[in-house]
Amino acid sequence: MELNANAFGRNARKALLDKTLQAALGRTTERFLAHRDAAVAAFPEFERTRERASRIKLDVLDHLDTYLLRFIEEAEKRGAIVHVARDAAQAREIAARIARDEGVTLAVKSKSMASEEISFNEALQGAGVTVVESDLGEFIIQLAGEAPSHIIAPAVHKSRQEISSLFERHLGGPRTDSIPELVGMARRHLRAKFLSAGMGVSGGNFLVADTGSVVLVTNEGNGRLGTVLPRVHLAVVGIEKVIPRMSDLPTFLRLLPRSATGQAISSYVSIVTGTRRAGDPEGPERMHILLLDCGRSAILEGKYREILKCVRCAACLNVCPVYQSVGGHAYGWVYSGPIGAVLTPLLVGLAEAVALPDASTLCGACADVCPVKIPLPDFLLELRSDVREQGLKTPGEIAAMKGYAGVMRRAGLLEAIERIAGVLGQFFTKGKGIGGLPYPFSGWTERRDFPAPAALPFRKQWKIRRGVTR
Amino acid sequence: MTYTTGMDPKGPIPVSLFFTCLADAFSPGVCSATVEVLERFGATVRVPLSQTCCGQPAFNSGNRKEARAMARKFLLSFPDDGPIVTPSGSCAAMVKHGYPVLFRDEPPTLARARAVGERIYELSQYLVDVLGVTDPKSDFSGTVTYHDSCHLRRGLGVVSAPRKLLRAVPGVEFIEMEESDRCCGFGGVFSLKNPQISCKMTERKVERILATGASYVTSGDLGCLLNIGGLISRIGYPVKAIHLAEILAGKTAGKGGAG
Ligand code: SF4
Repeated sequence: MELNANAFGRNARKALLDKTLQAALGRTTERFLAHRDAAVAAFPEFERTRERASRIKLDVLDHLDTYLLRFIEEAEKRGAIVHVARDAAQAREIAARIARDEGVTLAVKSKSMASEEISFNEALQGAGVTVVESDLGEFIIQLAGEAPSHIIAPAVHKSRQEISSLFERHLGGPRTDSIPELVGMARRHLRAKFLSAGMGVSGGNFLVADTGSVVLVTNEGNGRLGTVLPRVHLAVVGIEKVIPRMSDLPTFLRLLPRSATGQAISSYVSIVTGTRRAGDPEGPERMHILLLDCGRSAILEGKYREILKCVRCAACLNVCPVYQSVGGHAYGWVYSGPIGAVLTPLLVGLAEAVALPDASTLCGACADVCPVKIPLPDFLLELRSDVREQGLKTPGEIAAMKGYAGVMRRAGLLEAIERIAGVLGQFFTKGKGIGGLPYPFSGWTERRDFPAPAALPFRKQWKIRRGVTR
Repeated sequence: MTYTTGMDPKGPIPVSLFFTCLADAFSPGVCSATVEVLERFGATVRVPLSQTCCGQPAFNSGNRKEARAMARKFLLSFPDDGPIVTPSGSCAAMVKHGYPVLFRDEPPTLARARAVGERIYELSQYLVDVLGVTDPKSDFSGTVTYHDSCHLRRGLGVVSAPRKLLRAVPGVEFIEMEESDRCCGFGGVFSLKNPQISCKMTERKVERILATGASYVTSGDLGCLLNIGGLISRIGYPVKAIHLAEILAGKTAGKGGAG
């Protein structure tokens, strides 16, 4: 997916003016949130489960190499072919080679954020393979030529009317605003693709080390069809998705749907363990697992390693007032909301996404809901500090900060400035709020007043009260 | 009705006031109100005159060098033992949680920072949790709704103390707003760097405030109140943004509101 993260401000302003987007965002995030809160309230063990999930993930991070090797060994034992890609270019190369070697011309794909990271579809198209998105939301935005804007609901930014005209144009169906009819149209179209595709492509929510299994959690069953019907199955998964044991899986299966959509359990959980064995009624004849490093092992070494605990539930997006205001596209890459604001700079380089750590008020709502307890606001703060350390701050901001510190280090100087500001402020504003200030405050005062400085600051008042002279 | 003053029977309690740079410059009334309330409950209030700013603007914008300089100054300004009370949830949270981050590689300062973090309280937290105040003895009257500032609620975990106090003021009719814990969009530097998004969030907050029909919106953080009050004042709604300290001090008059 194309990277456009530093245009956050511009993207956000556009999003704020987009009426369809605004309506869609409000509806979806609020519904997800209400369901999530209810599901969590009805699950008294949530806190304990969350604690356990976080501990399991931390253990994984401590021994990632061991668990990965175990996973690869077990998966290969069961007939899967495991590939590891260092970066996106290598991942694309491997994916194209697999498709070519397997003689695939049509692939059906279920939703996978990891494959967005490496621009998977373009890679396969380059190898002469048609890729059809089979998740309803992904299918819609593929028709529209757009990118997902939410982890769980990739087409959250589209209205029913927009979808209807897309289907009319691309599927040749009659124009309809009925959701069941629209779903039926997509289903008929996709069913034919499932039956003729040579390869099914999926992501993976979890990789189980002790069994070599790839676990898919979906709500549409398309992931399952894609792993069962086509001859070849390719799973594209980040290396951090490994969990130690099959017995750890229930912990995550309890948390993920509750945090994502508020469901106690998701509609489909597929556990794909190797290729079809003799006598198996179904399953892929050939199975490839493409493990993506793509910057993850570098993250593992540093202070942000806990970000790799993320299970991509999107709870932090739904609860984030900034995400709710501007939607996912504003963040300019695969991941949006608080997880995107932290993960994107780590994966693509801070200079390429320097605007994202600032895309938060640090309100902390995201950390409250994260099912694996990732300290997202702390990481945002840390990244902001890295921006300075890496020389990426604007000279204007640094100068302003130095000025601020210079004044604040001397109470006397601060007092003198306050007195001058107070006199001027009272003179020009007569005690009322200030309606227009120069940059960098101009944005603030566009729709809000700024308070006038007090005529007599508190320090001075206190000195007078205490009879302190000087 | 039982009256608990929460007054220490052993005599006056020395409390240091951290008045915050924002209140000092823009709403000194909030600082005097804080002093008044603390004195009402038996405190002798000390005001270290060398204090300035806790360093939060620098810290939150990633300028740690400047933040550290501010934090050092703060530590020097509050050398005594005893509680430090401030009418700001976010400044208290900065001292409590930000300083240990700033000095994590400087063990001696880290120890001092932690010790100061143990001593710092936001006003309502200090009144309710430490002094056990149940009757604020305020003569305020009006319908009031309360905005949870993010740092007070999530940073310090103070949720019920301000509500308890508000409900206990005889003339106050307390009305809970929807989404009271939702960020008002201020976020310090955020509101300068992303003013449009900030405003959008503030508008939603103000809508929720108006929906209560209250005449006052209050909070334990001046930053939020300046932001919310700034929008209210621009649009000209008949709602006043007023700091909790001012309600507790019993200032019904229009003057001194944060908006
Ligand atoms: S950071 Fe936490 S809340 Fe956000 S998507 Fe990942 S697991 Fe879910």
